[in-house]
Amino acid sequence: MDGVHDLGGKQGFGPIDVTEVEVPFHAEWEGRMWAINQCSRSPDWTLDWWRHVRELIDPVDYLTRPYFDSWAQTHIAAFIDSGAFTLDEIVAGKSATAAVDRQPSQDPDDIVAAVEAQAYRYDREIEAKPAYVTGDRIFTKQFVPGHHTRLPAYARGKPGVIHAHHGAHVFADSSAQGREEAQHIYSVVFEARDLWIEAKNKNDRVYLDLWESYLDPA
Amino acid sequence: MTEFDSDAITKIHRQLHSHLPSESALRVKALESLLVDKGLAETATIDAWVEAYSEEVGPKRGAHVVAKAWSDPGFKARLIQDAVAAIDGLGYLGKATAHLKVVENTDEIHNLVVCTLCSCYPFSILGIAPNWYKTAAYRSRAVRDPRGVLQEFDVDLDDDIEVRVWDSTAELRYLVLPQRPEGTEEYSEAALAALVTRNSMIGTERALSSAPGEAS
Repeated sequence: MDGVHDLGGKQGFGPIDVTEVEVPFHAEWEGRMWAINQCSRSPDWTLDWWRHVRELIDPVDYLTRPYFDSWAQTHIAAFIDSGAFTLDEIVAGKSATAAVDRQPSQDPDDIVAAVEAQAYRYDREIEAKPAYVTGDRIFTKQFVPGHHTRLPAYARGKPGVIHAHHGAHVFADSSAQGREEAQHIYSVVFEARDLWIEAKNKNDRVYLDLWESYLDPA
Repeated sequence: MTEFDSDAITKIHRQLHSHLPSESALRVKALESLLVDKGLAETATIDAWVEAYSEEVGPKRGAHVVAKAWSDPGFKARLIQDAVAAIDGLGYLGKATAHLKVVENTDEIHNLVVCTLCSCYPFSILGIAPNWYKTAAYRSRAVRDPRGVLQEFDVDLDDDIEVRVWDSTAELRYLVLPQRPEGTEEYSEAALAALVTRNSMIGTERALSSAPGEAS
């Protein structure tokens, strides 16, 4: 979707705060939200669905509210949508029904093991042969569907070169709609001068990891 | 059940906008209380996750990987060839690193990592991403004006140095292998690790200092 989340190359954003203190969390609630995301999710969500729910946040809120606040909003919206709780319950901060009997899957005394258990793999074996090899010239598609996609606006309809083939990975666009389909995925290198009208330096390049259906042969 | 219906979510977001307290801390508190109340989360587990990413899981892991690559050519070769196996050998494989790639800075090449679509980051080796990495300013500008972004971080690149910006749009993640500072030939792996900054592994720092604790 052409959402406000698709920020690459958008102009008018100011300088970067390079003086930020290097701490994991800048407020207690940020740590709580990070932690909730690690241990409490609905089993029917996919990672790409969660990302899509986040990019559907009202554009003004998306750009102006704190980062981990958007995680809270995403979690709350996705939980309400999946039927885990209701709007009234989150407004009250209290459950209207009895607690579910759930066996916790993570051991609080060994969370580092749970960090390791989150090494989720997205590569899949597929029968189709890759359509491209390293060095092939491609064009990215000009148009993308209205749902979740990982072809950023700035890299649409652009010429690039296959830098590497990484096998087949779960396709984000389908996964965001609850379907697991895998496609070949490639690192594609773009010359900055092909992406940006003002780019002059022939040494500047942008690398993107793109699924095969985002590409057409040049 | 989740129906994967975008319109339904947009509607819920609007309702939340009107009904939730504005303050982020109160929103998260309501979520945590409700999840615990429902039996969908446990306070002790949430506490443990906060602690893990405050102590154990952070950029010191990445710094260890970099220092080992600097001191052990065999490890460096394995790291470039198969970063996943290399970090797994150190016990650092985990969240968002099952498809990790390591990209090496040289005299001729500088690498910079961004996620323009959300905020993808190799959590199990770098911990929580800095706020600036997640801002619209960094995400919008890193792909379009990387040299300008680097200047704000006090990195001045000659025009003939190649800039490679890695926009992590899929499930691959990138770790920059910075250059080893000169004058560190005698340093132990631990002493080298103390020189490696988080930003140098994202690519917003280039010339590391040979003096521990000193910004370059």
